[in-house]
Amino acid sequence: MNWSDILSLLRISLHAMVPITLTAVGEIIGETAGLFNIGLEGALLLSAFAGAIGAEFGGPLFGLFVGMVVGAGLGLLFSVINTYWKGTQMITGIGINLFAVGIVAFGLIKLGAPGFHDVPKVSELAKLQTPIGAVSPMIFVALIVPFIVYWFLKRTRAGLILKAVGEAPEAADVAGININLIRLLATTFGGALAGLGGAYMSVCWIGSVTKDISAGRGFIALATVVFSGLNPLLALLGGFIFGFFQSLATWIKTLPSKPIPWQFVEMLPYIVTLLVVSGVIGRVRFPKALGQPYKRE
Amino acid sequence: MTESTARAAEKEGQEFFLRAEKITKVYSDGTVALKEATLEIHPSEIIGLLGENGAGKTTLTKILSGLLPPTKGRVISPRGRVRFGSPREALDFGIGMVYQHFALVGTFTAAENVALSHEHPFSTIQLADTKKRLEQLMKESGLHVPLDVPVENLAVGEQQRVEVLKVLSRDVDLLILDEPTSVLTPLEVDELFALLRRLREDGKSIVFITHKLKEVGSITDRVVVLRHGEMVGDLKTAGATTEQLARLMVGKAIDVEAGAIELTEAGLPHRESVRVEEMKSGPSILHVENLTARGDTGEIAVEDLSFDVHAGEIFGVAGVEGNGQTELVESLTGLRVPASGVATINGTNILGKDPREIYRLGVAHIPEDRRELGLILPFTLAENGILGVHRWEEFRGPMSFLRRGKINQHVRELMERFDIQATGPGAPAKSLSGGNQQKLIVGRELAKNPDIIVAAQPTRGLDIGSAQYIRDLLVEMRNNGRAILLVSADLDEVLALSDRIAIMYEGRFMTIALPADLDRETIGLLMGGVTTVKEGV
Amino acid sequence: MSSEVTRNSSRLWRATSRTLTGLNPALESVLAGVVGLLAGALLMWIWGYDPWKAYMAMFRGAYGDSYGLASSAARGAPLILTALTFSICVRAGMFNIGAEGQLYMGALAAVTVGYFTLPSGLHIIAGIIFAMIAGAVWSLVPAILKLTRGVHEVISTIMFNWIARFLAFYMVAFILVDPMRSEKTISIPMNARFPILVRGTDLSYSLFAAVLFAAVIYFILWHTTMGYEVRASGFNPKAARYGGIKSKRAMLTSFILGGLAAGLAGATVVMGNPPTYAVISGLPQLMNVGFDGMAVAMVGRNHPIGIIIAALFFGGLTAGGRVMQFYGSNPVPLEMVRIVMGAIVLAMSIPELFRIFPAIKKQGTELFGLLRRLTHRVSHKEGSA
Repeated sequence: MNWSDILSLLRISLHAMVPITLTAVGEIIGETAGLFNIGLEGALLLSAFAGAIGAEFGGPLFGLFVGMVVGAGLGLLFSVINTYWKGTQMITGIGINLFAVGIVAFGLIKLGAPGFHDVPKVSELAKLQTPIGAVSPMIFVALIVPFIVYWFLKRTRAGLILKAVGEAPEAADVAGININLIRLLATTFGGALAGLGGAYMSVCWIGSVTKDISAGRGFIALATVVFSGLNPLLALLGGFIFGFFQSLATWIKTLPSKPIPWQFVEMLPYIVTLLVVSGVIGRVRFPKALGQPYKRE
Repeated sequence: MTESTARAAEKEGQEFFLRAEKITKVYSDGTVALKEATLEIHPSEIIGLLGENGAGKTTLTKILSGLLPPTKGRVISPRGRVRFGSPREALDFGIGMVYQHFALVGTFTAAENVALSHEHPFSTIQLADTKKRLEQLMKESGLHVPLDVPVENLAVGEQQRVEVLKVLSRDVDLLILDEPTSVLTPLEVDELFALLRRLREDGKSIVFITHKLKEVGSITDRVVVLRHGEMVGDLKTAGATTEQLARLMVGKAIDVEAGAIELTEAGLPHRESVRVEEMKSGPSILHVENLTARGDTGEIAVEDLSFDVHAGEIFGVAGVEGNGQTELVESLTGLRVPASGVATINGTNILGKDPREIYRLGVAHIPEDRRELGLILPFTLAENGILGVHRWEEFRGPMSFLRRGKINQHVRELMERFDIQATGPGAPAKSLSGGNQQKLIVGRELAKNPDIIVAAQPTRGLDIGSAQYIRDLLVEMRNNGRAILLVSADLDEVLALSDRIAIMYEGRFMTIALPADLDRETIGLLMGGVTTVKEGV
Repeated sequence: MSSEVTRNSSRLWRATSRTLTGLNPALESVLAGVVGLLAGALLMWIWGYDPWKAYMAMFRGAYGDSYGLASSAARGAPLILTALTFSICVRAGMFNIGAEGQLYMGALAAVTVGYFTLPSGLHIIAGIIFAMIAGAVWSLVPAILKLTRGVHEVISTIMFNWIARFLAFYMVAFILVDPMRSEKTISIPMNARFPILVRGTDLSYSLFAAVLFAAVIYFILWHTTMGYEVRASGFNPKAARYGGIKSKRAMLTSFILGGLAAGLAGATVVMGNPPTYAVISGLPQLMNVGFDGMAVAMVGRNHPIGIIIAALFFGGLTAGGRVMQFYGSNPVPLEMVRIVMGAIVLAMSIPELFRIFPAIKKQGTELFGLLRRLTHRVSHKEGSA
């Protein structure tokens, strides 16, 4: 392994970090407010697809925007069902995932090739040249967003409100806070971030859309959220860690002599996730009202 | 407080502050909580809202404070009709409520909790300002709390003070308190009442929910009595007798078996002690030595307790809730592993064992939370009837098959013996009323034929008929030679039923004595943690 | 009337009345199904298809003839099992999303039966047992992680799904590969296959296995102490503890039973699936059977009877979809079926679905209420039992 290999590993890690970190930070906002959305996987998938189409229509930035809108829309759907309509969060999340898988597979067929669609180079977001190679500008976005969200949660009254809604909704209700509205906003915004991450995958990074482009990243993001203890800065770190292992897997695959069969290499990120999550639990405390709909008695 | 006194003076001229007219409230499941209740509230007045559990007091106040909308009826102020879509709107109008189960965010500090209920633009939190304002308020009101500790780590009395401060900081004109004294020691109650009187002088109105007749006499100007959702009385406190009030609350004097509810000089319903037979204690069934246990937060909840409970005796543990009673019961029933000490049933150790083993040793446990602990609400009566004994041979056949026939028969017998009103053993437990649920639990536990019954808050939240029934049962068990450990926050109940009584404060027994040897004042002091002789009243 | 007859007939009336009340949740499932189909129709229409023709083709393909019915049942059989995986654990208060991975492991384990010979009956049983054990093991590890380290089972089971997927790829390509045809594993030998139930179709006796397993689960959950403890822990862990129930054991039990179900599902797919009777590279026969099972579980309200019905419905969707995708001049791709399934699950997650269709609910509840009152009146008139 030489220097250029290391640089290339770093570069790929940073790229792989983006969707995970963005989605994780988005989910942190949602979980702080008390909603546990496992439909992120579907959001990532659908927004990757929608973003690709959007990029072909109106350029890469438009594609990213479309991705955010789609993600926000799914977040909105999730929160409406689970706040105003008092639904079951786990089931809604699973439903969204199923639904997204169906739509994307269906959509890909409509676009021509079942299961795969290439995003034309012109629609991809241009990369910046840096010392470590060509990097997508989205990486900087992914680096900055966690800090902004961290500041928001800790230092603004809105962050206080968010935490109250997730921790003790009865108290927040009495204080005049509209619980359902806050949860709605939180999850919608979280969905937008996930949508950004998803669109990034097709428009800025991989350059194509496949049936399973999300590859479990939504769930890895959930694991990152657990790892982070709802701290966006730790989510950034977690995203990088997982991104690193994904890039490691890619790198091993490119080695001329394959020391490990590619299947085991692909398993790596998921095994690492499992290990990290197993090692970390116990010191993490979640909002008391997480996962429960709020009913005014 | 010139501003307040000015407002007080202004209010002198006004007729009333708020009037609730013919408020009716029907919940989504059909329960009628309020039927055309009407209440007029004047400034500089303390109104006591009296009634049994389920009478509608909390519902009425939730409507007044904006948490719930009325189904019918309206609320008017001198300026016209008012409608509150949320507690916030009520707060803006000047109505604030201190809830029985506080509306605080546990992980926030007191300052953060107060900051939450103020204007909330997208700005940065100015905790320093909030703290300064709170300190000012604390000085004026005489309430003191630490401002930087997460509220969940505060004692219950302190938490309540935070609640009150939170409401006061919004400069309300009407303060509603829901059963505020149930978590306070007698000393803290006096402090609270002093504060309320001060607020009344400032022109504020106070509505005070309680089911304790004694408090009504000492603090209120007017008493309003609710029964089954209807307003049955609205009298000046000065002219009312406790007898009158009790009768209004309950509807009629209740005749249970041979005894009747009598009002003692203290003015409280009290079981005729003649019925309790001569104390005839037998051998020690439960022996506890130096029991120490920690609570969920890691602090010591039970400290170095030693006592015995004998056959044929009711050993009562009195005290304000939150002083370790729950942890004590949990330690003795397999729900908590104590830190150290000894506890045996008939000589066999019970500490650290799991509940099933303890039941096998002859222990029955009537838990303090029947809905969360004693029953599985979605299960049927039959399934609940065997909770805890479901592995016993009579109910369990070969290959662990449940003997449905035997189980149903068992539950049917329970229903008959304990007069449990339900459609059948197949009815879901959640369809039963509180009283019937408790009877099911009590019946199930007694059917185990236990040597000792641990009863925690056995009559909490029950209507008088069911409560009396269960108390009678406990006395009957005691007369039959069982041992009973009774833990109850209802002081009158403990005093009336116990052969010996212990007063628990901060994990210790302040004293173990015969009820007859203790006068109410001493009890009050002990409950408040005062061990030495009173230092002036 | 003699009191004996009175008592029995009023008991019958009461049972009927209670069943009718219990059917209320079934109404919700039906409604969700309708909503899902409507959503699919809307999308079809947007994309320029003819929803009516498409659905006609689908339903004809699924239920129109005996071939269709057999096809639907064949597809539904493994769904019954993966649905049970989810449902058993839900009843214990857990979310076991790992049916997919447990299914793969079960299928692989079943295939190993091809490496040795046994008399016919035993051979099938061996395959089933291997598969069930493999599924149970794969389910057990997340359970243990939850118990010892508090790892949320949703995350761990999903990770295990992905690990199983790649592990399966590897096993199919290298370890269990058929030396003569490298795109599949070795085949299940003749006497280890489930016999075909309906000639000319691909419906095998695996359907029996699935339904039998469902029946066994029903008995376990509602008629044994073990099942009682599982359900108690799921409803109220605190009260369960008060009742001396070790929630940890109940949880483990549920995960093991769930893993057994998923493993068996893998066996039914491989051992009951003509013409290949092997695991094919890329796992096309197994893909998504686990996830679809979850949808079935929800629509079936986590009860074995509901699951069987829902599985047949979902199996019908798939079987019908296969016909639909070839029908007409502008056929609807098969993937639409998954969209419909997703929409159904989404609709299921809204408990107040009825509020959106107030008319339907009103009629339904009125009808039920009327029937209940009738039966109540009759049973009360006849005196109590």
